[in-house]
Amino acid sequence: MAEVALIDALTMAMAWELEHDPSVVVLGEDVGVNGGVFRATAGLQKRFGADRVQDTPLAEGMIAGISIGMAAQGMRPVAEIQFMGFIYPTVDQIISHAGRMRNRTRGRLTCPMVLRAPFGGGIHAPEHHSESTEAIFAHMPGIRVVIPSSPTRAYGLLLAAIRDPDPVIFLEPKRIYRLNKQNVEDNGKALPLDVCYILREGTDVTIVTWGAMTLETMKAAEQLAEEGISCEVIDLATISPLDYETILESVQKTGRLVIVHEAARTCGVGAEVAAIVAEKGMYDLEAPIRRVTGYDVIMPLFRREMDYMPSVRKIVDTIKETFEN
Amino acid sequence: MSTFNLPDLGEGLPEAEIVEWHVAEGDTIRTDDPLVSVETAKAVVEVPSPQSGVITKLYANTGDIVPTGAPLVDFDEASQDAAAAPVKKEQSAATVVGNMPTGNEVLEETAIPGRSRKNKTGRIKATPSVRTEAKRLGIDLAAVNPSGKNGQVTIADLNQHHQSTQEPQTSKPPVRRSSAPTGQAEPLRGPRRAMAQSMSLHRDEVAACTIFDDADINDWLNKKDFTVRVLRALAAGCAAEPALNGFYYADSMSHQKESRVDVAMAVDTPDGLIVPVIRNVEAMSLEKIRGAVADLKKATMDRTVAPQDMLNYTITLSNFGMLAGRYATPLMVPPTVAILGTGKLQHDVVAVMGGIEVHRRMPLSLTFDHRCVTGGDACRFLAAVIEDLGKPQ
Amino acid sequence: METIADFEVQYSQFLDPDGKPSDDVPALATDTDKLIEMYSLMTETRVFDTKAVNLQRTGKLGTYASCLGHEATHVGIAAAMRPDDVLAPSYREYGAMLCRGVTMTEILLYWGGDERGSDIAGPRNDFPFCVPIATQCLHAAGAAMAFQLRGEDRCAVSINGDGGTSEGAFYEAMNIAGARKLPVIFMVVNNKWAISLPIEMQTASETLAQKSVAAGIPGIQVDGNDIIAVRHWVERALARARNGEGPCLIEAVTYRLSDHTTADDSSRYRKDEDVEKARAVEPLPRIRQYLTDLGVWDEKKEAALQKDAAAKVAAAVKLYLDTPKPSIESMFDYMYAEWPELLEEQREHAIRYDGSNGDPHG
Repeated sequence: MAEVALIDALTMAMAWELEHDPSVVVLGEDVGVNGGVFRATAGLQKRFGADRVQDTPLAEGMIAGISIGMAAQGMRPVAEIQFMGFIYPTVDQIISHAGRMRNRTRGRLTCPMVLRAPFGGGIHAPEHHSESTEAIFAHMPGIRVVIPSSPTRAYGLLLAAIRDPDPVIFLEPKRIYRLNKQNVEDNGKALPLDVCYILREGTDVTIVTWGAMTLETMKAAEQLAEEGISCEVIDLATISPLDYETILESVQKTGRLVIVHEAARTCGVGAEVAAIVAEKGMYDLEAPIRRVTGYDVIMPLFRREMDYMPSVRKIVDTIKETFEN
Repeated sequence: MSTFNLPDLGEGLPEAEIVEWHVAEGDTIRTDDPLVSVETAKAVVEVPSPQSGVITKLYANTGDIVPTGAPLVDFDEASQDAAAAPVKKEQSAATVVGNMPTGNEVLEETAIPGRSRKNKTGRIKATPSVRTEAKRLGIDLAAVNPSGKNGQVTIADLNQHHQSTQEPQTSKPPVRRSSAPTGQAEPLRGPRRAMAQSMSLHRDEVAACTIFDDADINDWLNKKDFTVRVLRALAAGCAAEPALNGFYYADSMSHQKESRVDVAMAVDTPDGLIVPVIRNVEAMSLEKIRGAVADLKKATMDRTVAPQDMLNYTITLSNFGMLAGRYATPLMVPPTVAILGTGKLQHDVVAVMGGIEVHRRMPLSLTFDHRCVTGGDACRFLAAVIEDLGKPQ
Repeated sequence: METIADFEVQYSQFLDPDGKPSDDVPALATDTDKLIEMYSLMTETRVFDTKAVNLQRTGKLGTYASCLGHEATHVGIAAAMRPDDVLAPSYREYGAMLCRGVTMTEILLYWGGDERGSDIAGPRNDFPFCVPIATQCLHAAGAAMAFQLRGEDRCAVSINGDGGTSEGAFYEAMNIAGARKLPVIFMVVNNKWAISLPIEMQTASETLAQKSVAAGIPGIQVDGNDIIAVRHWVERALARARNGEGPCLIEAVTYRLSDHTTADDSSRYRKDEDVEKARAVEPLPRIRQYLTDLGVWDEKKEAALQKDAAAKVAAAVKLYLDTPKPSIESMFDYMYAEWPELLEEQREHAIRYDGSNGDPHG
């Protein structure tokens, strides 16, 4: 067992799969010699060779496209897009092909690929490096979107993603790449996909969140506990397809729901969670469903970045508002 | 004196190791001159001096690890030049650029995978608009009988409840359906919870024995006075055989007979069984019994039966057979020792003086605690009950 | 089989690394005023760039992409352009931008995390920095399309790197420009590195200039460290485009002497001796030497230039550091031409929470 940060847990997971599954190939810009601009693939090329851990030319559409080709022919590519801000050229390939391969060939060809990308803001990075547009992929049938929020879940969920027979967009909240550490056993055990994780049990209000926002949400929960409000915090982990059973069960217990995400508000994944609970959990609700999100503006450059993001205070205030009459 | 802290050297790196100092304490340095070389997780980086001045203190030695934002050097105040002035103002802010703080905090794994929790706590189901209306009307949702398809309280339920609490209860109580949706465990509350507890107590302690018989009520002049007649008959039974009217204390193995006949009457409500008590039935005329029963019914519907109205009874009556059920093995709550149950009134074929007639009869089931009551006691009691019930009035 | 198409790629250098002119050096080489102007700008760019890196290292600037070694290429391109032409840069071409009237302060504001840095006061129609690689090539082609449709004799110039030539957008832009004879010049600055990927692994193409062949447009390769060569050929290309003869590609070969950005450590993937070999042929000394040999430059002038550059940079830095951060409302001000109602509630929310998140950056 080692105390590792989230980024290291990712390296461990990729190393495990590279070792145990010869059909796994890691590819992307600067992932080989350089080990990735965040060092997510550090040491892998040295260990497994340049055929299994490939530095590609600079073209995101190409990276997604050849991954689809490899996957359809029996390999398991684990491709990296350097930042979510550069993922958009892949959208054509992912939506037009990765998400459709199984369906349009009636299962004859499938697409077991993973597309990894660091996402999210809060590290004072230049333009385009703080994107949080997971909703684009969540909307598309045929693909999974997975977002870990801790080192152990990063390890277990990435293993699951690589082993999954369907395409997975694996978004890594870069703000918490190195924030803290956890004891992660390198035992090759995957965690289940399509399931939420309850980070904190409570009785008064359910808070659904994911990614780096789990941090602010847990802090808000601690603060509220001191004021007598017991929060249940749920990490979606798999953004799509949603495990709404766990969410509904929780709302049945608490009667209140607040959703927190740093992505922009309109048509963010929070809207889907709210719609499901309004549809299936209406009779359990004691207050309107609320969302604490980024604004419907382009993420500002870093001098105003933190004003855009949900903060502990914004979350606490919104939760309290659900108790007002 | 101004302190220069280790800045974020690249998108939020946590710390750096001092590789080489390019100055010593006491040296004079100019803005942009090399100050120190440090190694981060990503690179060996040379940090230039942010200002001119005399170095008065170095905060770390070669080989030390310095966290981002921690003090690195002190400059002598007096030797700052104009260009450095803004630097000083920004220093504390400037050195914590990059909000990817890293730490060595080790997290516990506390996350529970979803769908693995089985314990569910039931809550009252109602739409927010119904909840608001309930609040406005001052209705406790828990008291309302829910009729919604998902087990929720509807606006109609609210209105009905509101009306029924304003008017006296005239109609036959509607058939109660369990309010919880099927398929999930609902913790018991209120009277149902109490019933679970008291029945468990019976099972654990009492040596129960039940005798079954029928009372012939064919000759009744007033064909409808069931509860009142049964109560009088019960009092007659207690008078004939007081052994069944009282308490048995197991610890001391002692039997306490009572002369007062305080009858606990089991009443079925939407919330479950409640058992209010009519006191001193032995001293009441039929009229008085009738009045007491009416009061009790109203109090039950209004939920104004107080806890003390349900304590300290000497015997229990259960008119279980309203809809169906001929005989039963009713269970009393210790320390009482007897409970009489009346089943559904029947039109039975009976033999009368060598011939056949159809008589209206009331099935009776008498459970007694055989630890202190004998079969003989029970039969004497039952015979007196049957005899009183057999009278025309 | 008969050969039905063939191609050749020509290379041009007028000043060698020691500043010695070739025999076929063009008239520009005798225009010492122009040369001194360009050399001065190259020097200012160098001083600015060094200071910007230092600002990042002392926590006063965010991540920054240094242009060390690219000064001749960048200044040469812009010096050949007309003020009413349009530039579509990537994110490293400070020499070109300063030449066209962008201020040092504006560049610092951009990397300092303030959108006002892209609201440049000088060349109002130039495109801002472009981070998604090679997408600017299409923008330049589009600008050229507008000029052509309106009958203007203006040109567009896009600049991208060797990595950018692998992107689909690069080819798509050349292709449409060639098909329509658009007045756009595609400058490819081959600095040999795309973060950690060397040019040898980027493509099987021997030169990047020959990628123009697929689009049916002319392409040449020049020594990007030779200010005379760069400016001369860009001028020729622009004249050609203005004349309706269509686009072309110019590959300027240089070397990225610095890390990709201040967040990168190039020692992980390249050898110091290779970098030093490249530094030996870098652009500033050779033009300085050439001018000195002509008798129009000396140490005194050099010292004065350095002092002047340092003062300009210091003034720009002070202005940058003194600029307070933008208002909270400015997050919302430029989303649409007309204010959508949806944003009103959010704007009020943001104003209410202004400064409450405890961000220590200020």
